[in-house]
Amino acid sequence: MSDIAAKAPVKPARRRLLVSRLVPYLLLQALILVATILGLRLLQPSDPDDFALSEFSLREDGVARPVTLPHFTSSRYSLADPPLYTGAFTFRRGDVASGWSVFLPRFSNAVEVAINGVVILDSRRDANANRPDRNTPQIGSIPSSLLREGANAITVRLLVWGPLKGFLDTVYVGPDAALRPAYETRTLMFVTLPVVFSAWQSILAVILAIMWLMRRREPVYGVLAVAMVLGVVQAFAPPPVPPVTTSRLAAVLLASAPIESALVVVFGVLFFGWRWPRYGMLLFAPGLVVFSVGLIAGPPLPRILFLVLGIPTVGLCLILMACVTAAAVVRRQDAASFTLGCAVTIVLICWAHDMLSVFEIVTDERIFLSRLSYSAMLVAIGAGLTWRFARALNQVDSFAGQLVTRVSEAEERLKASFAREEERARAAALANERTRLMRDLHDGLGGQLISIVALSERGHEGATITDAARAALKDLRLVIDSMDDIGGDLMLALGSWRERATAQLRPHDIALDWHVATPQGLPLHPELRPWHVIQIVRILDEAVTNAVKHAEARHIAVTIETVDEGQGPYGVIRVADDGKGFANGSALVGSGGAADASQSARGLRNMRSRAARCGATLNLSSDSSGTRVRLQLPQIFPDSDAAVG
Amino acid sequence: MTEQGETGEAITILLVEDDAPTCWRLQDALVKAGYEVRSAGTLAEARSGLGERAPRVLLTDLRLPDGHGVELIRETRRRFPDTEIMVISALGDEESVISAITVGATGYLLKDAFPTDIATTVRDLVAGHSPISASIARFIVRRTQGTAQNAAEPPPGPALNTARLTPREIDILWGIAKGFSYAEIASHLGLSRQTVPGHIKNIYRKLEVHTRSEAVFEAVQQGLIKL
Repeated sequence: MSDIAAKAPVKPARRRLLVSRLVPYLLLQALILVATILGLRLLQPSDPDDFALSEFSLREDGVARPVTLPHFTSSRYSLADPPLYTGAFTFRRGDVASGWSVFLPRFSNAVEVAINGVVILDSRRDANANRPDRNTPQIGSIPSSLLREGANAITVRLLVWGPLKGFLDTVYVGPDAALRPAYETRTLMFVTLPVVFSAWQSILAVILAIMWLMRRREPVYGVLAVAMVLGVVQAFAPPPVPPVTTSRLAAVLLASAPIESALVVVFGVLFFGWRWPRYGMLLFAPGLVVFSVGLIAGPPLPRILFLVLGIPTVGLCLILMACVTAAAVVRRQDAASFTLGCAVTIVLICWAHDMLSVFEIVTDERIFLSRLSYSAMLVAIGAGLTWRFARALNQVDSFAGQLVTRVSEAEERLKASFAREEERARAAALANERTRLMRDLHDGLGGQLISIVALSERGHEGATITDAARAALKDLRLVIDSMDDIGGDLMLALGSWRERATAQLRPHDIALDWHVATPQGLPLHPELRPWHVIQIVRILDEAVTNAVKHAEARHIAVTIETVDEGQGPYGVIRVADDGKGFANGSALVGSGGAADASQSARGLRNMRSRAARCGATLNLSSDSSGTRVRLQLPQIFPDSDAAVG
Repeated sequence: MTEQGETGEAITILLVEDDAPTCWRLQDALVKAGYEVRSAGTLAEARSGLGERAPRVLLTDLRLPDGHGVELIRETRRRFPDTEIMVISALGDEESVISAITVGATGYLLKDAFPTDIATTVRDLVAGHSPISASIARFIVRRTQGTAQNAAEPPPGPALNTARLTPREIDILWGIAKGFSYAEIASHLGLSRQTVPGHIKNIYRKLEVHTRSEAVFEAVQQGLIKL
């Protein structure tokens, strides 16, 4: 329900969008149509009408009849017995000083002009003039010796090769100075301008080809480059002129137009981001047919095929292109699609104009504009693409600049956060260490100082206070000592402890036997932390204190060794005394006081918990021959103090 | 019972300690052992005490109300090369002991040592046996490692020149640091037990920066100064 409800308003909205975008575009194209037609009318080259010669007598197929130029003759495929136009003009020697000329603004396909029976001009020698798609004018100066005062005869043989009909525009005969400007204007428009466009096209073809070579994943550039190369080849290659029979090249050149137009459609589709459909390749079929027929058969078949297949294909391609651009305009509404759409419309109008002209529906001067407008369009597209490429480069530049800025910013932030993190880690480490130190001082020194205070207040014997104070001092030394970096060598800590223990035992006349069973003593523990050292040393202190206070030992033996049973080495510290021992504390109850027993039990509990915190194992056995404490160190000391958390 | 030196006279000790109870305690222990003890509470008193007659042994605290014991040690070393100098340390902390050693002290005494130990220490010192603790030995050998590895930053604590120590001396220091007795060290290193104290005395002497000229010589030796 909700789906339908949601979808329902979408379609009209899309249609509204389509209408709102397509209608203005179509109106714009209509405007362009009007403008183009007006432009074609206005830009029609003006000819010197004073010297026009339009009344001729045409002798064709053995029949002579009067005609008025411009005149179409029937299409023919033989050069033998061409249509012959015969006319007359009046020459007065006194008119002008300069020589006279014959000016033929438009003809197809070739002309041979004779004055008073002497040939002065044969357009077949001008490669450009032989191309029906170019509107090449011809001018021929008449040698003054040929001119007679009064009436002169002019004959124009119109050489036609099908399938196009022959055409002869008005002929102008007059002073060269009067005819030359019109000829120059036409030459500029229909000869020089196409060459200029072709030159541009060739340059753009190279640029686009390079772009495509560097960016293979954008075939747009490659397609356009190929189209342009084809256009350039077509423009510059000299067309074969009958009676050349091997016109393979002509076939290829004829095929170029439909192939080119198909390529332009491909370009349009790719440019606007659509996928080129596989059946789209059919668009190349007419061009290829013309091409292959041209390779196999001689003229005039390829030309006929071109007219039948090629030109409609060009028209079809232009219409397709117009649709593609219109769709792009509706979808994208950007400058590129608008511009391209307008350009395509102009070319399409020119093509239609040419068609009308070919079929004599519009009987103007038969000027073909398709080629010219197409070249102009290609140049426009190429320029647009180059512009787009340059803009993309600019964007890349600014993007790179932004990237550099962003990266440096990120780097700064990272540095700052790293510094913060480091600072925090250091602060945390410091805080941890401080906490540990406070706890250690509190555990040992604090308690002992409190007991000193208590003992003093109760007026105890000095000796007891001395013992408590000494214990406090010893603990302070231990805490300070543990702060030193011993590089994971527990032996260094035990060395200091031995000194202190020896000093402690000397007044009690107890000997401390120190025995290091393995040469290296204990294995190195890089992970060893001060608090591990404190725990271990306190365990040993406790063992020694027990031996002195409760067991009345005479000898205390400390054995240090490294044990390796195949699963990595670990250290073992043993403290053995020859005192009277105690059996799980119960013996103490009997032999000593209850306070003694509880104190001893607490000491044992402390030893065990300290060992557990270090990951060490404490074994204690006691009998009448003495007490043996075995402390087995872990292979790796735990990182955090599990018991405290 | 009177402790006597080689000449037969009583051994004189100048005790410089500003804390009165500590001073009494040490003085009692030493007097009881037969030494002739003069005591001073300040640097000035100590200097005037030195002026009268050179003591055989100088026992001094480092923190004094009118100055630092290091100055007194340096001065005494210069004026009376034969006087044995011991520094009184509350906890045997390496910093004060080492800084005293570098100016010429050859031993240290813990303030809370048992009276018998106090006397024994002084007697050993006079006999040429410098005491050395495991922690001080550890401090020195760690410095030798620091210089050997060309550590980027100098380790904390007083400057200490360990360049002149021989490998044997360093081995001895390692032994002491790990809690081995002189006898154990001697047997490990193939020495006679009696030579170990001599080595330790040598270590003290080598760690001392005696005079200005020697300091310069040492700096040149270590490449600190280029001539």
